[in-house]
Amino acid sequence: MKIDRRLFVNFDWVLPTLVLSICCIGLMNLYSVGYNLPDTTSTPSYVRQAYWIFIGLVMMLVVLSVDYHFIVRYAYVLYAASVLLLFVVLLHGKVAQGSQRWLMLWGFSFQPSELIKLTVIIVLARFFGDKNVTQEWGLKNLAAPLFILLLPSLLIVIQPDLGTTLFLGILFFSIIILFRIKRRLIKCFAVSGVILIPLGWFFIQDYQRKRILTFLNPEMDPLGSGYHIIQSMIAIGSGGLLGKGYLKGTQSQLKFLPEQQTDFVFSVFAEEWGFLGVLILIFLFLALILWGFKIARRSRDMSGMLIAYGVTVYIFWGIFINIGMVLGILPVVGIPLPFLSYGGSSMVVLMMGVGLLMNVSMRRFVFQP
Amino acid sequence: MLGNQNSLNKHEPGNFRKRLDVLVWLVMFAFALLVLRLWYLQVISGETLRQRSENNRIRVQEIKPLRGLILDAKGRILVDNQPSFDVSIVPEATKDIRKVLRKLVELSVHSDTDNYQKAAFLKTDRPFVPVTLERNIGRDKLAIVETNSLNLPGVIIDIVPVRKYIYGPVMAHILGYVGEVSNSELEKESYSQYKSGDIVGKYGIERYLDEYLRGKSGGEQVEVNVDGRKLKILGKVDPVPGYNIVLTIDADLQKISRDAFTGKEGVVAVMNPQDGSILAMVSKPSFDPNLFNRGISEDNWTKLSSDPLSPMQNRAISGQYPPGSTYKLIVAAAALEEGLITKDKTFSCDGTFKMGNRTFRCWKKRGHGVVDLHRAIVESCDVYFYNLGDLLGVDKLAEYSRKFGLGSKTGVILPSERGGLVPTKEWKVRRLKEPWQKGETTSVSIGQGFLLVTPLQLLNAYSTIANGGSLYKPRIVKEIKTATGQMIKEFLPEKKAVLPLSGDNIDILRKALWGVVNEDHGTGRALRRAERDVSGKTGTAQVIRMPDDDEDVSKEKVAYKFKDHALFVCFAPYDSPEIAVVVIVEHGGHGGSVAAPVARKIVDWYFQNKKGEAGIDGALG
Repeated sequence: MKIDRRLFVNFDWVLPTLVLSICCIGLMNLYSVGYNLPDTTSTPSYVRQAYWIFIGLVMMLVVLSVDYHFIVRYAYVLYAASVLLLFVVLLHGKVAQGSQRWLMLWGFSFQPSELIKLTVIIVLARFFGDKNVTQEWGLKNLAAPLFILLLPSLLIVIQPDLGTTLFLGILFFSIIILFRIKRRLIKCFAVSGVILIPLGWFFIQDYQRKRILTFLNPEMDPLGSGYHIIQSMIAIGSGGLLGKGYLKGTQSQLKFLPEQQTDFVFSVFAEEWGFLGVLILIFLFLALILWGFKIARRSRDMSGMLIAYGVTVYIFWGIFINIGMVLGILPVVGIPLPFLSYGGSSMVVLMMGVGLLMNVSMRRFVFQP
Repeated sequence: MLGNQNSLNKHEPGNFRKRLDVLVWLVMFAFALLVLRLWYLQVISGETLRQRSENNRIRVQEIKPLRGLILDAKGRILVDNQPSFDVSIVPEATKDIRKVLRKLVELSVHSDTDNYQKAAFLKTDRPFVPVTLERNIGRDKLAIVETNSLNLPGVIIDIVPVRKYIYGPVMAHILGYVGEVSNSELEKESYSQYKSGDIVGKYGIERYLDEYLRGKSGGEQVEVNVDGRKLKILGKVDPVPGYNIVLTIDADLQKISRDAFTGKEGVVAVMNPQDGSILAMVSKPSFDPNLFNRGISEDNWTKLSSDPLSPMQNRAISGQYPPGSTYKLIVAAAALEEGLITKDKTFSCDGTFKMGNRTFRCWKKRGHGVVDLHRAIVESCDVYFYNLGDLLGVDKLAEYSRKFGLGSKTGVILPSERGGLVPTKEWKVRRLKEPWQKGETTSVSIGQGFLLVTPLQLLNAYSTIANGGSLYKPRIVKEIKTATGQMIKEFLPEKKAVLPLSGDNIDILRKALWGVVNEDHGTGRALRRAERDVSGKTGTAQVIRMPDDDEDVSKEKVAYKFKDHALFVCFAPYDSPEIAVVVIVEHGGHGGSVAAPVARKIVDWYFQNKKGEAGIDGALG
């Protein structure tokens, strides 16, 4: 394969710079989280996270070195492989905290439900990439993409992992709103939503029901299901304008804050760095998202635009749902904060997503033969 | 447009730019929402949430103070604090809890009841909190645990201070006992500064002076993590130990008084008549206040509370008895002072006295013949006093009784004191809705009928005559001091009143009381000592009124609980008396033969011991 000189000229330096800055903040924050944990023999989480970042960077390079058109061409194969992994997880996956999400690979545990987010974006890019832009979309011609969404959703919901299922749905709808959808179908979605939400109330687990109730009023059960969110808000709020100082967050260091490494990692940061520190982080996140939109906007073709846009909203929703949750404006769902929460699968898949973004970005001037 | 449908990736995505622009605004809006929320939490509510985070991490742990000691008049410790040892286990400090528990059972330190259940129970989510296995183990078991400590990982000994009542049942009624504050007590206003789990005085001095004895809790401000584990101490306030209380009681005299009373039920109390100090106060049957340490067992409690002799009652202040002939002192005082008789006034006693249609008897069936006041007291002639009662009337009797301190609480610093009963005509109409009968005055004039006194009232009344007419408030607490000896409160002798009796009349009465003990026909001859220094009065109080004419009832046939109470009150020496003693033997029979010998032992011991002390003083001098 001939390497085009323009690939280097157009190489996107902004994106990896932003991502690595955020990752550094994440590592520093994880160090603080583990600072007062009892000294266990296992590697501290910030070191392991550094490994994952490194693996992620390698994967990012792999992903960006292959022309995204090539990736899109094999979208269905990738999709089939990811779905297969979801099947395997159901059969052989590791059970932890009541759900079967992890696959053991060479001593690493891996969540295929993270990977499917990316492949769904790619396969939708493939599907919509060659369709008439101006056409209106009804239920009939959306049947195929809906199937693309529902098959993995079903496999994930029986793990069970409601958060990821919802996330996939949100991602899907974020993508199809780019298209013109028939009014009737929108009404259809709205009506089925109205019906499904109360119906869903009976299907979700007890603890999930509690979470929704305590989201509406966290002080209802301050020591039970409301505990997490109250402690999180105390941690964030007590940070004040300037924060309590690095390694000095009492809420996190004394472990009043639950799930500090994963879902509530932002609260630790907010407690120690305060409003000003958080503003910097939020600014970096916003810059990343806007840069993603910029890549989507100026991508040369439909599938590139959809990939860039899809990856960007994927990152955006991760940020918005997680921070919204720890701030108490969204219910507690187990969505990690991109680049900050500890977790290998999430980090590697995110890096691969960034790789896709860069892929689209650097090939915007490359014409296909 | 045709080309668009032909092959992959031929679209210009430009058509979507508008939508993308709208979405960018939505994203900015979403971020703005997050920033606004952050501003609200961190800047606007920052201070209150910071306060909540402080509340989260800082706990104040109470450090309990040591309770004050109680000492006798000579500074001997009556109530001490002693360590009690609890065996506890810290679940996280041992790998195999079951093994450790088995070992404890093997060493017979821990009783094997629900070993396995306990092992499961010990797997708490706060494994650093010690779990108590055995409370209050003996020193032998303590030694076993200490020597085997290497085999008992995680087992610790907690030291809890408990009250030690050194004299056990000897002073139970004075000192009282302590226990955990009960829920019903906590509901009361007066217990507002107590909280659940506090140790509080339940009876006696422990209860009456609890506010002085309890001390002030200290506290330790500690930083804790979410599990409550102590991480570091941020500040400490030491507890202030409770104040020590010095009683007027003489522990030796108390013990002697109780020994003298062996095998009997009732009361012995000793007072210094010159200032109202109580030197000894024995109530029997008694109980061991040490039983209440760390919670009394149910068995012991049922035994104590269902005993018909109510061992937990302090009879000296809560027991109400008819004074019997000991009351004659007051009747005589009233008659003399009212000018109704002189000391030479005589009445003829043929053994009976008619009042209305009732006939009252003298204890001496054959009668005393013609008697004057002195002989009437010395030989305790009932008929003489029936006559005096008739002359005085019940209301005059009541007036003088009250002047001697009967009929109302003495105000001694002990809980659940009772006031006795001094009947008047008005009282009977009010309480029984019946008019007063003349014959009832006759009963009262020899200390029977409605009249009831507490032993302490009786002792105090005699002390008044002994000291020449000053009515003191009985004093059992001398002073309250801090643990380091600083005076907090001093209880000086408190003269409540001076009897409206002329010195001559008091002299007449004192001489008569001397005669009771020292004259040949006196009823209190049992106390006649070589020194001839004791004065007193016997009494035999009927518990129920015997049918007046039923002569066949012999004393032996009468069931125990209907037997007479034997009373004796005395003071010595004649000039400036130092001690006054009251003895009431419940259902004992005659005062002169049963109660007086008890008093004699006490008086004998007192003067013997006083000599000994003087000897030592002399040697030192």
